[in-house]
Amino acid sequence: MKVNELASALRLQSITEPDGEREIDGCYIGDLLSWVMGRAQSGNVWVTIMSNINIVAVATLADVSCIVLAEGVTVEDSVKAVAEAKGVNLFTTPMTAYEIAAKIAALTV
Amino acid sequence: MKELSLNILDVAENSVKAGASLIGIELDETEELLTLRITDNGCGMTPEILASVTDPFYTTRTTRKVGLGLPLLKLAAEQTGGSMTVASRHESTNPEDHGTEVTATFYKNHIDCTPMGDVISSIVTLIQGNPTRDFVFTHKRSEGNVVLDTRQLRDVLGEDVPLNSFEVLQWITEFLREQYAGDENR
Repeated sequence: MKVNELASALRLQSITEPDGEREIDGCYIGDLLSWVMGRAQSGNVWVTIMSNINIVAVATLADVSCIVLAEGVTVEDSVKAVAEAKGVNLFTTPMTAYEIAAKIAALTV
Repeated sequence: MKELSLNILDVAENSVKAGASLIGIELDETEELLTLRITDNGCGMTPEILASVTDPFYTTRTTRKVGLGLPLLKLAAEQTGGSMTVASRHESTNPEDHGTEVTATFYKNHIDCTPMGDVISSIVTLIQGNPTRDFVFTHKRSEGNVVLDTRQLRDVLGEDVPLNSFEVLQWITEFLREQYAGDENR
């Protein structure tokens, strides 16, 4: 499944979507960025409530397919601009991390 | 990071990479605040580099394009309501007095305050990996201060005994443990 297909299926609100054709491969939930850096896998949908600029760096480093901000979290314009520039797909949704992961599992597993 | 002791290790390694011969690691605890200050006499940073140190996409590494050491320390401090500052004097403009000072302040009682972790292991790891550099570790606490100055150790041991020999590292570990345990034995 591609990022843009997932976003459509789950009605995720797009913040940046520079690479919507990216294939997704699994899901990782985590808010401790140093932990996520070493554990999220390439292609994962990364679900978090963190919203500072560092999430874009971690997403780049871990090569996740997209970041989904749970529970209605949003980012500042400066973070949006960097995500766009670095090619990081970024979405937000009112759902909890559990709800998002369950729905991703239902769609992809 | 999961523990503050890992941040200490990470930031002090920056001092090592900056060529510092003397690195100070100070923890200052009050009832409400924990202040971490790491100082060094390394090459320092130019104003341009200093302005970029909390940008995670700025790094001196050549192996990857992301540097998260100081950005993560800043985040850890700020998520408790605290802050982080970095001051630096570059050797090109201050040939006699250059170096960097990183100061992070944490509100200890905030629910998101990172646990301290194993500071003794971090200090010992730094000495083990960098036996020719000197470290001054100070932990100011209401229960009693913990202090280690490797320059004093070097004076006693002389040039022939490296600080990263097994016996010395073991002694340092015990020395720090005893100081931390001292208040419990009072």
